Amino acid sequence: MMPSSRSLDAIRPCLEGAVPAAIATCGADGTPNVTLVSQVHYVDASHVALSFQFFNKTRENILANPQATVFLLHPQTSARYRLALLYRRTETAGPLFESMKAKLAGIASNAGMSEVFRLRGADVYQVLDIEHVPGVEVPPAQCAPCHIARLRQLSQRLAACTDLAGLLEQCLEGLASQLEMPQAMVLLLDSQGRKLYTVASHGYPLSGIGSEFPLGRGIIGVAAQFRTPIRIAHLASEYAYSRAIHEHLAEAGLGDRLETEIAFPGLAESHSQLSVPILAAGRLLGVLHVESAEPHRFGYDEEDCLMGLASLLGASILALQQVADNPSEEGAAPLFAAPLQGTPLTVRYYPANSSVFLGEDYLIKGVAGAIFWRLLSLHVEEQRSEFSNRELRIDPALKLPELDDNLEARLILLQRRLAERSRDIVLQKCGRGRLRLLLKRPVLLQQIAAR
Amino acid sequence: MSGTSLSEEQVHFIESGVSISAASRDMRRVPSVSKVVGCRVAADRRQVTVLVDATQAGQLLQDVEGSKALAVVFCLPSSHRTLQLKGCDAHQVALAPGDAELAARHRDAFAADLLPLGYALPFARATHEFQVEQLRALCFTLSDLFEQTPGPNAGSRLEQE
Repeated sequence: MMPSSRSLDAIRPCLEGAVPAAIATCGADGTPNVTLVSQVHYVDASHVALSFQFFNKTRENILANPQATVFLLHPQTSARYRLALLYRRTETAGPLFESMKAKLAGIASNAGMSEVFRLRGADVYQVLDIEHVPGVEVPPAQCAPCHIARLRQLSQRLAACTDLAGLLEQCLEGLASQLEMPQAMVLLLDSQGRKLYTVASHGYPLSGIGSEFPLGRGIIGVAAQFRTPIRIAHLASEYAYSRAIHEHLAEAGLGDRLETEIAFPGLAESHSQLSVPILAAGRLLGVLHVESAEPHRFGYDEEDCLMGLASLLGASILALQQVADNPSEEGAAPLFAAPLQGTPLTVRYYPANSSVFLGEDYLIKGVAGAIFWRLLSLHVEEQRSEFSNRELRIDPALKLPELDDNLEARLILLQRRLAERSRDIVLQKCGRGRLRLLLKRPVLLQQIAAR
Repeated sequence: MSGTSLSEEQVHFIESGVSISAASRDMRRVPSVSKVVGCRVAADRRQVTVLVDATQAGQLLQDVEGSKALAVVFCLPSSHRTLQLKGCDAHQVALAPGDAELAARHRDAFAADLLPLGYALPFARATHEFQVEQLRALCFTLSDLFEQTPGPNAGSRLEQE
């Protein structure tokens, strides 16, 4: 018999749910029972959680006799492992439950069992022993990348960034080039804490910047709500982006409306999805989301790597926010706008939801819309072109939330939307915590009062 | 006991090269589990013999010797159809002529079911690979039969006649 001191960490590919495991239990009367379980989930180096889907003999047995033995197959090599387990508890809500529920939805969808597989609980077991069972094994097809090395390279790129826009860009470019995750996006939490807005994306025909996603729904919303990584390996309709958004719209009140004019940037058929929360200083800042049209693209290693990256991103976002809110006073003479020639562009503003239209075209709404209107108003009334983050933050006309809103992120959003939607108005950064508004045509401002 | 037996269709199912795992338990009621590499059913459709590789199933063989209790689950990955058979008189018996060929056919039939699901052939064959000289046979009389195909009927006992 081979040595049994193997760590659970070394056999994580067996815990992806790619091959069902066999679980043996024994009743109080001494009758053994064996059945298949869809998911044996890695909790930590000495615990696994099994999906509890049906009230069955296994369930009855572990409640009477907590000892279980599981037979696992490695999904590439066919290496066999036997785990000696001791049942500890069942979790029916919370991060572990939500992670397993989403993963099971992917497994069920791949198995054509979407209506049948439903997670009732996450049964947590202590791993007492891991036995590597002898038998024929196939060499693994490819050598897995060293994620920690890739993460180190990416962390160096992030450490060199001096503003939020650069940070987000480096993060997403690094994900594509260093971690081979070309479809990725960063969403930040709205100051109300009920929705997330897309502030950066990579690898989509339309950036979707400014689009919004509800908290608590879909992979992204659940990762945010439970502050836990959520990952699926197969297309699952219950976690489709469009479904999460439609369900939210159907149930949400008017005051809680999502941005619907800007389409969400996700892949239409995303088989692998991984969302991780961006946390810093005890707060949820947003979500880092990656996806792929290939199934089983993201495993435990990718999940760990992204969690590490998200931590780094969170700390950097907070640090750079501090910097941006304390702009350099470089003492340059204030730049006044020269009078412009040409047909004026009508800019309409609806204070009811702070939405802005350039001519007939929708631009943006919400906090970014209100900021844009304020900048244009100051430009027209005072002929100013340069502004500081600090003055916007304390501007009584804007009433920005003191802490919870990332002004710099809203400005990036506005900047990107303008770059995508307008040739006549440009918003640029001009030094730390400062921005410049450039107009190529005169503007005619119209504020439309709510009826 | 009225004498539970398998239907012809069930015999065909469990002999057709499905994924098979067997479990027993020791005197402390600690369960043991191993892969089964082949199965044959006697003409009475009550005596079932399963083949295991002794290098993989050492604990199971020992536990069967001590407890005579055996549970065997059969599952076809492509359809998820799952049956569990139980016996309380399990014991090791001599291999019958042709058992090695039976196990080889089982391994290949299982691999054939797995291929359309996207698994590579070397992996699919390796899952039920065995060493001929290590084959052991365990025989039991069917005492209980359960439908375990995932769904509302999972776990229900199938009464025969």
